[in-house]
Amino acid sequence: MALPAHISSGVSAAPSRTPVYALVGNPNCGKSTLFNALTGLKQKVGNYPGVTVEKKIGTAYSQHGQPITVIDLPGAYSLAARSPDEAVTRDVLLGRRADTPQPDRILCIVDATNLERNLYLVHQILDLGRPVILVLNMMDVAAAAGLDVRAGRLERELGIPVIPCEAVNGKGLIELKLAMSRADLPLSRHAWDIPAPIAPAVAELQASLTANDRKPPLIARAEALLLLTDQDSVRVAGSTPLSARTTEILQGWQKRWEGEGTDWAGTLVNSRYDVIGRIAAEAVTRAGHTGPTASDKIDAVATHPIWGWMILGAVMTLLFLSIFTLAEYPMGFIEDGIASLSDWVKKDSGLPDGDLRDLITDGAIAGVGGVIVFLPQILILFFFIGLLESTGYMARAAFIMDRLMSRVGLNGKSFIPLLSSYACAIPGIMATRTIEDQKDRLVTILVAPLMSCSARLPVYLLMIAALVPGDRVPVATKVGVMILMYALGTFGAFGFAWLFKRTLLKGAPPVMIMELPPYRLPGLKDVALHMLERAWIFLRRAGTVILGISIVLWFLAAYPKAPEGATPQQQLAQSFAGRAGHALEPAIAPLGFDWQIGIGLISSFAAREVFVSTMGVVFNAESKDDDTTPLRQALLATKWPDGRPLFTPLVCFTLMIFYVFAMQCVSTVAIVRRETNSWRWPLFQIAYQTGTAWILSFIVYQAGRALGF
Amino acid sequence: MSPEIQTVAALVVVALAAGWLVRRAFAPRKNPGCGGECGCPTGKLKR
Repeated sequence: MALPAHISSGVSAAPSRTPVYALVGNPNCGKSTLFNALTGLKQKVGNYPGVTVEKKIGTAYSQHGQPITVIDLPGAYSLAARSPDEAVTRDVLLGRRADTPQPDRILCIVDATNLERNLYLVHQILDLGRPVILVLNMMDVAAAAGLDVRAGRLERELGIPVIPCEAVNGKGLIELKLAMSRADLPLSRHAWDIPAPIAPAVAELQASLTANDRKPPLIARAEALLLLTDQDSVRVAGSTPLSARTTEILQGWQKRWEGEGTDWAGTLVNSRYDVIGRIAAEAVTRAGHTGPTASDKIDAVATHPIWGWMILGAVMTLLFLSIFTLAEYPMGFIEDGIASLSDWVKKDSGLPDGDLRDLITDGAIAGVGGVIVFLPQILILFFFIGLLESTGYMARAAFIMDRLMSRVGLNGKSFIPLLSSYACAIPGIMATRTIEDQKDRLVTILVAPLMSCSARLPVYLLMIAALVPGDRVPVATKVGVMILMYALGTFGAFGFAWLFKRTLLKGAPPVMIMELPPYRLPGLKDVALHMLERAWIFLRRAGTVILGISIVLWFLAAYPKAPEGATPQQQLAQSFAGRAGHALEPAIAPLGFDWQIGIGLISSFAAREVFVSTMGVVFNAESKDDDTTPLRQALLATKWPDGRPLFTPLVCFTLMIFYVFAMQCVSTVAIVRRETNSWRWPLFQIAYQTGTAWILSFIVYQAGRALGF
Repeated sequence: MSPEIQTVAALVVVALAAGWLVRRAFAPRKNPGCGGECGCPTGKLKR
C-alpha cells in the first residue's frame, strides 16, 4: 500500500495551520503538569491517577513565538479504551471527535521510573504514523531510585526525539519547546514485525477500513490492530460503527483462529511486550541496591491495616483542627468588616431609610457576607487537600479505604470520584468516567453527592457556631462534630453503595488495581495555585449566584408589604418567602424546624451554601437594629413565638444531619442527568437522599427530645 | 433619595437579578460541567 509522501520521506510535513499537539501518557505520569508548564494554564494536577477525565486545550508558543495548540488528554494505559475517559484519548488520537482537531503531532510523556509499562502506549501511538516526541518525565525520581535511563539509546531505538524532563520544576522545557518548534520532525523509524499468523488479517482489515470505512491508511492500520487486540469490537469502534464488510472480515478471522486455537489478542500483546522489553532493557540500567525505596518504607506504616487508619484519622483531625483554630482570626476580621460596611451604609452613606438601603444591607451585604465569612476555612481545607494530593498521600488513603470500599462492593476506582466529591460532587461525578463497569459507575454517581462537599462547610460551621457557641466548649468538641459529619456522609455513601450493589445494580465484586505513586515533596506552587483558584471560585460564586439569589430573597422577604405598624417578624411572616416557609412547615416541624428554616431549605436547593445567605437575609430582615449583628449571634437570639430558643443544640445538630444527606444542589442534578443520559437516576437520587435526610433528622430530633435535649 | 425612588430602584435591581438567574439557569451551555463555578473540568480552557 502506498504511504503518504511525507511518510515515505521519513519526515513530517510542517502543518500549514497552527500545529496541534496531543499530550498523551499513562495516568499520573505528569501530563497535566507538563501541560500547565507549556501553556501557562492552571489545570488541576495531583499525585494520583485519574485527575484529568476530559480533554483540555491550551496554547503554547514555539521558540520562534509561533502559537502551538496543545490538547491534554486523559491518562490511558493503552489505546484499547476500557473506560469513558480512555475512550476520549483514543477517539481524539484516531480523529473521531468532531469537536477536536485531529492532532498533527503527538507528545508522549512517560514516567522514567516505570519505562517498560509506559512504553506500551507509546508503541501503539507509533502505529498511528504521526510525528511523536517522547518526553522522559521524572528523571530526578528515576535517578533517586538508582535508574539510569539513557535518552540517546531510546532515541536510536525508536527513531523519534526523546527529551529528558522534570516537568514539576521546569527542567527540559526549553529542549522540549525546541523539539516542538521543528518543522521537520522525523517520523519513527521503529519497525515492528506483526506476528506472522496475524499479519494477513491486519492487512485485510486495514484495506477494508480504508475502502469501506473511509479511514486514512495509517489510522486504518492502527484501528485494525486495536480490533484484533480487544475482543470487543463494538467497544473499539465506539461512536463510529464498523461497516458490514469490515465486521464480516473481522468475524471471519476470529472464527478461523478460534478453530485453530490461536490466541490472536494475546499473540499481539505479547509481541509488543517482547519488543518493549528489549528496548527497555537496552535503555535502562539499575545502579546500586534494589532494596525497598523510601516510599516503600513509608508505605509499610502508612498503609498498615492498623497504623494506616490511625494516621488517616490523625491527618483528618489535624485538618479540621486547623480549620477551627487558624481561621478564627481572619474570620473575625471579615465578620467585623462586613458589619462595618453594613453600618456605614445605614448611618454614614447618606442613603435614607428605604427599600434600596434595605436591599443593600439586608439583602446583598447580609447574604453575600454571611457566606464570604467562611473563606478562610475554605482556603485552609483546600490547602490541606492540595498538600495531601501533591505528596501522594491521597493514593494511600484510597488504598486504606479500599479495604472497606471493596466490602461494600465499591470499585477501587470509585475512590478518586468520591474524594473529588469532598470539594464538589460535580467533578466527582465526572471523574466516574474512569470506571469501566457501567453498574459500578452508576453506583458511584448515586452516592458521590453524599460526601460532604465544600458548599456544606459554611452550613456546618454556622451550625457548629450556634451549637457550641463561644469558648464554652473546647475546640476538640467542634472538631469532633465536624469529623462526625464527614464520617456520616462517607459511611452513608458506603452504606447506600452496599445496598444498591445488592438490589438495583447487582454486579460481580470489583477487583482493585491501584498504582501507588512514589511520595514526592509537595509542589507548593501548584498547591498555592489550586488554593487560590478555589478561593476565586468561591468569591466569584458569592459575587454572582449568591448575590443574585440574596437580592431575590430580599424581595421575597420584603414583599408584599405588611400594613403600617407591623413588626419585622410579622412582615417576614406574611411575605412571599414567609408564606413558602409556612407552607413547608408541617413537613419539617417534626424535625424541629420552623418556617424560617423552611425558607432556607427551599432556597438552598439552588446550592447548599445559599442556606447561610438565606439565614443572613431572613434574620437581618427581622432585625431593625441600627447596629449589624453577626449572623451567628442573630441565630442564637432567635426564638419561637412562645419564647423558646429556635436554634437549640439539638435543632442545629438535626439540621446538620439533614444537610449531610439531602440532595440540595441543582447543578449536581443537572450533571447526573447528563452523565446518565436520563432523568430517571437524578430523580431517584433526589428521592432517596431527601427521604433519608428527613427520616434520619426525624429520628435524631425525636430521640434527642425523648432524651431531654 | 425619596422612599418612592428607592423602591423603584430596588425593584429594578431585583428584576435584573431575577432575570439574570433565570437566563443563567436555562441558557444552553457550550461547555459541560458546572460552568467553572466549582472548579470541575470543563471541555475547553480559555486560551
